[in-house]
Parts: sequence; structure tokens; C-alpha cells
Amino acid sequence: MADNNVTTGSAMNRAGIPVPGYIKRNHILGVFFFALTFLLLPQFDQYTTAIGFILVFAAVGGSLVIAFGAAGQFTLGHSIFLGAGAFLSANIANDSYGWGRGLEVEIPIALAVCFILGLIVGLPSLRVNELYLALATFAIAYVGQQVLYEWKQFTAGGSGKSAGDLTLFGWEIGRGTPYIRLSLIIILVTFWICGNILDGKTGRSMNALRTSETAARSVGINVAWLKILAFGISGAITGLAGVLYIHNLRYAGPENFNVHLSILLILTLIIGGRHRLAGAVVGAIFVKFLPELIRDVQEYEGIIYGGALIFLTLFSPRGLIGLIEASLRVVGAQLSKTPVGKILPNSASTVIEPIDDSVTPLQSASLAGLASSDKRGHLTVTDARVIFGGVRAVDGVSFEVEAGKVTGVIGSNGAGKTTLFNAITGHAKNAEGIFTLDGVELSNKPIYTRSLSGLGRTFQNLNLHGDIRVLDHALIGLEREMHYGRVSEAFRLPHVVRNERKAYERAAELLDHMELLEYWEEKVDDLPYGLQKRVDVARGLATNPSVLLLDEPAAGLPTAEALQMMEHVIEYAEHIGCGVIVIEHNVELVADVCPRVIVMDAGKILADGTAESVMQNEDVIAAYLGT
Amino acid sequence: MAEFIQLIWSGVLNGLCYALIGLSLVLIFKTARILNFAAGTMAGFTGWFAWWWATKQGIPFLLAILVAIIMVGIATLLIERLTIRPLINENFLSIVTITLGLEFLVANLAINFFGGRAESFRIPGDIQFKNFEIGGVRFNWWHIVILICTFIILAIVGYIVNRTELGLAMRAFAEDKDAARLMGIKESTVSQWTWTLSVTVGGLTGILFAPVLFLQQDYMNIPFIKGFVAAILGGFTSLSGGVLGGLLLGELEAFAVKYAPRQMAAALPVIIVFFILLIRPRGLFTRAKAHERV
Repeated sequence: MADNNVTTGSAMNRAGIPVPGYIKRNHILGVFFFALTFLLLPQFDQYTTAIGFILVFAAVGGSLVIAFGAAGQFTLGHSIFLGAGAFLSANIANDSYGWGRGLEVEIPIALAVCFILGLIVGLPSLRVNELYLALATFAIAYVGQQVLYEWKQFTAGGSGKSAGDLTLFGWEIGRGTPYIRLSLIIILVTFWICGNILDGKTGRSMNALRTSETAARSVGINVAWLKILAFGISGAITGLAGVLYIHNLRYAGPENFNVHLSILLILTLIIGGRHRLAGAVVGAIFVKFLPELIRDVQEYEGIIYGGALIFLTLFSPRGLIGLIEASLRVVGAQLSKTPVGKILPNSASTVIEPIDDSVTPLQSASLAGLASSDKRGHLTVTDARVIFGGVRAVDGVSFEVEAGKVTGVIGSNGAGKTTLFNAITGHAKNAEGIFTLDGVELSNKPIYTRSLSGLGRTFQNLNLHGDIRVLDHALIGLEREMHYGRVSEAFRLPHVVRNERKAYERAAELLDHMELLEYWEEKVDDLPYGLQKRVDVARGLATNPSVLLLDEPAAGLPTAEALQMMEHVIEYAEHIGCGVIVIEHNVELVADVCPRVIVMDAGKILADGTAESVMQNEDVIAAYLGT
Repeated sequence: MAEFIQLIWSGVLNGLCYALIGLSLVLIFKTARILNFAAGTMAGFTGWFAWWWATKQGIPFLLAILVAIIMVGIATLLIERLTIRPLINENFLSIVTITLGLEFLVANLAINFFGGRAESFRIPGDIQFKNFEIGGVRFNWWHIVILICTFIILAIVGYIVNRTELGLAMRAFAEDKDAARLMGIKESTVSQWTWTLSVTVGGLTGILFAPVLFLQQDYMNIPFIKGFVAAILGGFTSLSGGVLGGLLLGELEAFAVKYAPRQMAAALPVIIVFFILLIRPRGLFTRAKAHERV
């Protein structure tokens, strides 16, 4: 790639992180299969309806990869988008009672209406998740079908409506092969867009949301909007599938769009594999084509679906595509004669050495720009209170932290340290008190707004994004640096790619600084505890905070390792001019790195001053050693 | 007045069906955090199975019911062992997926085994066609049997959950899985018997209501959805809440059919539930949970 600014010595280059571009391997595979189907289609003339259904199910599957696979919203309500799209199409296209317009009108209207419908259907996700969301969307699908039955002008009630003529800008499109070819093109474009969304910041923050909502909020992701948006995008694409549905079947009645269809749709994706768009295609082929191919088998359709589902859940949780991936990996390993299985991260196969020792990551092109002599992070806390039932966990705490300083907070278990952090970041919902950061008032603002105002944090009990790569953790933190809209993202316009490249560069340098670069490709779940701690801190630093709140970053680490990590953090913080507040039990460590130490006990501040002065304070000695 | 009582009685009758299905769903959900999507189909299968023994094999009515319940119970033990237990510590989605798979599987089996045609479940003495009247209110003998049986089932389930060691273990698991394990409670035992108990309750419901609903391909699907709704009303974690929710839904429906516009009647209860979910996601009868730690 000639036009990118990745220099040879950069961390990204050394670690071999692929530069985000326009074309990916998946695109080539996708186009290959598209072309194959496109050309071979006339051979399968008798199957056109079945193939049409595969395409419909694949499109719905693609939309569910976004809402369910990425954003983790288990929804059983997608049948109503399909129904809405189908009946919109009938009403727009059919001459006899509709508008007599072609696909060029049907598709945009279906997309728009179902997008808005999706936003509405997504509302319950703000209040409930997992099981209760499944219930709520299940209820919506049920009600939705009743509405279809009763809304006679729209659906003609129980008798249903037949599809209009198939035209595109006035061209008549023939049944059979020409129609399937057209829908193939539509699906190809849809999948390209879905892929772009999943690769961009939207997909990344959806994955963050799925794996840890709390953490996603604390890096500045507007979780509520993102959930609704996931439903909106997914609904729009399913609406498009609905248009294809009615043209494929030539007819749609309310009875087609029952709750069972919703379940079948999500099952299709689970069978195929919900973590990849390819899973949607594989699942659709399995569910819609297999019974068609083997006619005798149709009677046992349910047994096959059910059996496959149970088998896959037990033995390949990532679906058929996971099975394919795993077998390809085994074959690949056989060919290259490397042992199958994971190499433990502790013994990373390649340690990435800097090419030029004189350039530290902080001096690299992407991080040097962040250097700032202006200190940020002037935090004031006035009369903070958090009460749980009868327990005053934080009881009238006031303090002020100067910009760019490192401050330690110590205290025995239950002294209210973490709760104080939660009050500042907004995680403690019933917190009272006034919090300002660099003159901006944070009190009563949602967690993500506080984060965007410059409040970064890590978690005591590690709140990481389980099955997501280390590199992506840094990128999730960097989301606010990516200045592009969601529409440009969907079409992967040049400025999106430029932004992504810059973010990748910076993420890689940051990982290099935190000595995590060699693990960039690992999923955090597979990392040992010490490295997970570092990832958590790196994610916090990536948000470029004004003040970073570290909640026991060294807990469970050997002192030497903890000290080394803290040095890295403080070095980075000084580089960008941000302040650090650290809760720690390791007094030695605190005394070492924190010029100022606040001691808490029973929800109140017991002492405040330099490490030495605090350690000699009689109250502190009494609280720590007992009297 | 008589008309009013008749309306309430018809609500009670439907409500009992929803309450029992709701109970069967809550039993599993409460102890194992599993949503059993196959509950309705399995209940229907048991109903068909009892019919098959009684009509096709000519076994006496009560014996046929007993055989059907026992055989489905054994099958449940097997299903639990083979498909649920390996995933017991996975996330909720895996087991939900398994139950969805079971739903497809059992429904298909039922069609192939019992034929797709609608049948009627004959009861000795044909008491489902015999009525009696008190003060202008008509009662059906079989409905009275349903009422009595429901009370017996509720009493037995209540006894098992509240008075036996198994029930204690179930409640311990519902409260805190890890703590229960540390106290030496065997998770596999709890899981296996909870499943069996739940499926048995569902199966008895399937049999009790088969003469009322007529045996059709998936005659327990609608009751399943309604039972589901009942469980939601009850907050999904309270056994008595599920039963109350069922009765409430039954009455709601009876009055909706009578007084709401026809188009609304079918959807109204579900719409109400949808809003309840939005406003009180944890149901009507349960308190909110304590805040979550970060």
C-alpha cells in the first residue's frame, strides 16, 4: 500500500498488524462465491424459489449478525420486520391496489420504515437484557402478527396480498434466474455494508457492549443509543429481506410471519455461526436448501434442525462456520507441520524487539503528537455520599486533585475507595455530591458522558471484553478519536479508512508502550492475569483521559511487575499531561509512585498528605494496625 | 350476576392452564436460569402419548396417563443428562438454544409418531360433555376434575419445594449457585430432578387440557405462550407469582373477550404484558434486586 503512512519501524509494522484498507480476504471469497452462484444459476432452474429463500434468510442472518452476533441482543422479534418489508413492497408495487412503483421505491421505503420500527422494537433492550429481552421481543413478534391480521388496508387480513410486478426503474425483471441474479447483487451489496459496519467503530463498540456493558459505558460508548441503533440497522436490513421475500413467494399473508419464523431466523444464524457474516449464508443454506435437496427428508425437517442445533451447541458453539474454521485450521497445521493448539501467551512465540532502541513508543509518530506540557485533570469532589441501605459507604468526602498529579488512595477493605470511584464515574447510581473535572461539572451525567469529558477508569475485578483481541481493546478506547459518521462507515469512504489507520497506529504504539504488543492478536480471556490487568490499563489510557482512575491495578501482581506497570502508566500519563488516581493496598507501591496519599476509613477521609506524613499519622496507624 | 360468575369461571379455567405451564417454566428458570422453549411441545407430546396409550393401545385411562407420564419422565432424565448437563456452566444462551432445538425435534417427532390429524381425547364416562348447574351458572364435570387436579399438583409441587431435601437444594441453587455448591449440594441431582418435575407438571397440564383444547398438531403452543406470559407477570422467579400471573391472565382474557373490541381481544393481554415488562421488568409480584457490583 503506497498511500499509507505506516513507517517501517512502527509498532504496527513490527507486529505484523494488517493495515486497515478497502479490500479484505473475505471480500475476495465473497465475490468468488457470488460469481460462482451467478454463473451457475441457470443449472439450478428448478430450485429458484429455494435459492430465493436462502438469499432472504442469508440477508436476515446478516442483519442478525449485527444485532445478535455483535451487539449480543437476543431478539425473537425479527419476523415483524420481514412482514413489514413484504407488505410495504406489495402496497408499493402492486398496480391493482398500490402505487405501481418498482424496487427503486420499495427498497428505500422498506429500509427507512423498518429502521424506525427497529428503533421502537429495540426500546425494551434499554430496560432488560438476555432472557427478558427475548421475552419482550417475543411478545412484540406476537403482537406484530396480530396487527398484521387486523390492519386490513395494509395486509388484506387473513387473505394476504400478492406481490407486485418486479421492476427496477421501469425495467421489467423476469421471474426465475434474472430475479435471483438481481437479489444476489442486492445481497452482495448488503453484506458488503454489513461487513463495513462490523469492521468500523460501530461493530467494535457493539462487540464491546456484548462482552461488557459496564466497561463499554466507561470508555465513553453511549450504550443505550447503540443498542437501539443495532435494532434499527438490523431491522432495516430485515425489511429489505422482506421485499425479497414477497417477490420470491409472489404472495404474503399474515400467517407467514409468526413467532415461529422469528425463532427459525435466529436458529438459522446460530446453526451457521453468529460471529461471522459467512455464518448467515451457511446457516441459510443448511436450513433452506438441505430439505429441498433431499425431498424424502422434508418430513423430518424438525428433527434435522433440532438435532443439528443440539449437536452444534454441544460440540461447536460457533456453529457450522466454526466447525469449518476449526477443520481448516487442523488441515493448515497438518500441512505446515506445526502443532495444533494454542501457544501459551506466557511464552509468546515471537518477542517483538524494537528495531531502533533510541525511539521509544512515546516518540513514535502517532504518540509524539499527544505530548502535552499542559497539565489536565483538575478534579474536585465536594461532599460525595453513597448510601446502601443503612451503610454509609462514602460519607461526605471532599477533596481536590491538582492537574497532572499522581495521587494514591489507600484504606482497609470496605473503607469506600471503590465506591468513591464509582461515585465519581457515575457507576454508583445513588451517589450524591458535586464532581467537576477541569471546570466541567460531571454530577448527574451518565457514565459515558463523564468518560467523554475525560474521566478514564479501570476496574478492580477486571471488566474486559472476553473474546475480543487485545488490539481491539485499545481501539475501543480510541473510538472517540475516530471522526467519521455511521453512514460513511457503512460505505467505507476514504476518510473512514484514514481514521482507522491512524487509530490502529496509535493503538499499536500504545500496546508497545505497555509491553503488550506481542499479544495483540490474543483474546483477552486467554491471557494470564497480569497481562489482563495491563490490557485494562491500556484501554483506559487509550481514551486519552484527563484523569485516569486506577482501581487496584496491582492487586495480585508481584511487586516488581506491579511497579514496572505503574512506571509505564505514569510515564504515559506524564507524556499526555493527565492525572492519575490509584487505589492500592500495596502501601510500598503507593509510597513509591504517589507524591500524595489519601487515606480512607469507614467512608471518610482519615488523612491526606505526602506518603511519609500519612504513614506517621496516628489515626492511620490505629486504623491499619488496630489499637 | 350468574353471567358474571360464568365469565370469572371461564377465566379461572384458562387461568389454571396458564398457571400450570407458567409453574413448569418458573420451576426450571428459578433453579437453573434456563428458559425452556420446549415446555409447550413436551407437554403436548405427553398429552398425545397418553391418548396413544389409551386409544391406540387400549390401556385403561388412568394407567395410560401413568405410563405416559413415567415414560416422558424417563426420557426427560435422559435428555437432561445428554444435552443439558454438559452445558450447565455455559452462558444462558447455549441451553436456550438446546431447548429451541428440542422444541423442533419433539414437535416433529410428535407429528411423525401420532399423525398430524386432530383427534379427540375420550374420557371414561364422557364427562367432558356433562354439565351441571348451580344458580344459573353452568359447570362442566371435567372442568371440576381439572380444578381438583390442579390443586393437587400445586400442593405436591409446593410440598416438594418447601418441605423436602430436594426442594431445599433447589431453593439454595436459586439463591446462590456457588454457595450451594460449596455446601455440598450436587448440581447434577438438582438439575435432573428439577427438569423432571417441570416436565411432569407440563405433561399433566397437557393431559388435563387435551379434552378441552382437542388434540391437534401443536395444541399446547398457545397455552405455552400464555404460560410464558403468566410467568413474566409473576416475575419468572416466584412459583406463586407464576400461578397468580396465570390466573390473572386468564381473567384478563375472559374480560377482554367480553368487553374489548374484537380486534384487540387476542393481542390485548400480550400488549399489557409488554408494557409491564417495560415498566416492571421483574414482574408484578417481585421486588427489585439489589444493585450490581462493578
